[in-house]
Amino acid sequence: MKNILEVKNLSYTYQGENAEALHDLSFSVPAGSYVAIVGHNGSGKSTLAKIIAGLCSYKKGKVTLFGEELNKNNLPALRKRMGLVFQNPDNQFVGSSVRDDIAFGLENRQVPSEKMDGIILEYATKVSMEKYLDHAPENLSGGQKQRVAIAGVLAMKPELIIYDEATSMLDPVGKKDILDITFGLREENPDLSVISITHDIEEALRADYVIVLNKGKLVLEGKPSEVFTHADTLKEIHLDAPFLMSLIDSLRKEGMDVPSDVDSLEKLEEYLCQ
Amino acid sequence: MASLTIGRYVPYNSFIHKMDPRAKLFALIVLMVAIFLPYPTYVMSFTIQGIIFLFGVFLLWRSHVSFFRVLKSLAALWIMVIFILIIYVLVPRTTNYPAFDINGFVIYWDSILEAARILLRLVLMIVLSMVLTSSTKPLDLTAALEWYLYPLKLIGFPSHIVAMIISLALRFIPTILDDVERIMKAQSSRGVDFENGHLGTKIKAIVSLIIPLFVSSFIRSDELANAMECRGYDPNAKRTRYRKLHFRAVDFVETFVVLAIFAGCLTLSIMQLDAYNAIWGITTL
Ligand SMILES: Nc1ncnc2c1ncn2[C@@H]1O[C@H](COP(=O)(O)OP(=O)(O)OP(=O)(O)O)[C@@H](O)[C@H]1O
Ligand SMILES: [Mg+2]
Repeated sequence: MKNILEVKNLSYTYQGENAEALHDLSFSVPAGSYVAIVGHNGSGKSTLAKIIAGLCSYKKGKVTLFGEELNKNNLPALRKRMGLVFQNPDNQFVGSSVRDDIAFGLENRQVPSEKMDGIILEYATKVSMEKYLDHAPENLSGGQKQRVAIAGVLAMKPELIIYDEATSMLDPVGKKDILDITFGLREENPDLSVISITHDIEEALRADYVIVLNKGKLVLEGKPSEVFTHADTLKEIHLDAPFLMSLIDSLRKEGMDVPSDVDSLEKLEEYLCQ
Repeated sequence: MASLTIGRYVPYNSFIHKMDPRAKLFALIVLMVAIFLPYPTYVMSFTIQGIIFLFGVFLLWRSHVSFFRVLKSLAALWIMVIFILIIYVLVPRTTNYPAFDINGFVIYWDSILEAARILLRLVLMIVLSMVLTSSTKPLDLTAALEWYLYPLKLIGFPSHIVAMIISLALRFIPTILDDVERIMKAQSSRGVDFENGHLGTKIKAIVSLIIPLFVSSFIRSDELANAMECRGYDPNAKRTRYRKLHFRAVDFVETFVVLAIFAGCLTLSIMQLDAYNAIWGITTL
């Protein structure tokens, strides 16, 4: 499968800082996959997202997006093919109503004004915000604002969506809504790739691939069922393994040979009953 | 922060709401100038101001602004009223129309009438601007402003960027007011008193509000800039517009009516024509 994103030996230091925010990072994201990036506060996840989006220019290493090496000249073109959703719902709401906010990206893309209303309605409906089109941001909940942000990104028809902790300021219901929408989108369009930076281990469990960062370095990577069984390593970097995974890890330490395709309580039960 | 109701947009579907914001802005400016033109006599001033006032009240009524709100915004003027009265009454005038004589301190009709003229101007300014702001979405007003600033682009003035800045500022006013409230609560719970105390403590309290507010606003603007950039915003690139302004027949009519009023006022002012004297032969103050 083609890789939508390849990061090779990427290091990054913020101007005026001594410590590296990212150190010798390499990984790749196959087209159509859902990759979760987890890590403790300050481990460099947002920095990585900013570099991929071209908001920080890197000097060491190589970032290849959609098969092209990211640089100043192709950045506008590459940016058109991806969308970012940030953590704070307020600080990415540009328009003074839901309608205007979704239109903002369309205006930047020079979509003809006559076509905008149709597009706005289509994507607002995708995130179930069609009833709130004329609402001002101050009259929306955080989760609703994030849904509008997603609609704004989707209206650009991206091939890659990056969430930088898009759900971390939301309540459990808002969080679940966003995840359901995202997984729904992927069912509709299997070519859509998602990179989700998250503190939510349950979300990471549903991903195709997990990357664990700590202090700017890649510590673990692989399928969630593999990564989260390294309970000791995770504990060392202050991350909690999900309950199921710590259970499997403990069973393995007891000498049981739990196969790696066990990724739900049901499957574990099945295996144990054999 | 419900006290910020003066001049806020009132959603409704009146014909004034539907008018082009450019026409409304133009009318506001022209009528304001008409109010401030010099007229030969007080009675002439009051007559013209009265006509414009009735016109303004009619528009307010048609755009469904509640009169309570108009009164509330006018009530905010009371400090100005006292101030103007005192100044005009104290400044001695040299006319022959004494109104009162309080133990040798003479107050002249001129002072009272001049004060009234200034006050009426203020009231009219408020009423007319309320018509505009309560019937026009801030965003449309910004678009109108951008349209008027458009010619300045020729000399390199970035009117589209200014318009974007204004609309972002409008968008973030409620958000930042929320921040103010939150920071005030947080600082109060740490013992800062925003209500009592002498000047020194008050200033300290304000500083304890302003600094976190600046920090949070800078963080917000940084994140907003990132989000806008990711969504493909380039201040210098060409953009299409979602909201287009439409200058319709009503707008032509409105502009024409307003210009006619203005032309009348201008003629009266330039010729210093006292209509009362010319038509009925009455001499007034
Ligand atoms: N603008 C900046 N200037 C200087 N240093 C920065 C800047 N932004 C982040 N850093 C530093 O870079 C490191 C990585 O920060 P980053 O924001 O990428 O972490 P993160 O994994 O996103 O954390 P969090 O989970 O809190 O969002 C941190 O040590 C941080 O202090
Ligand atoms: Mg972060």
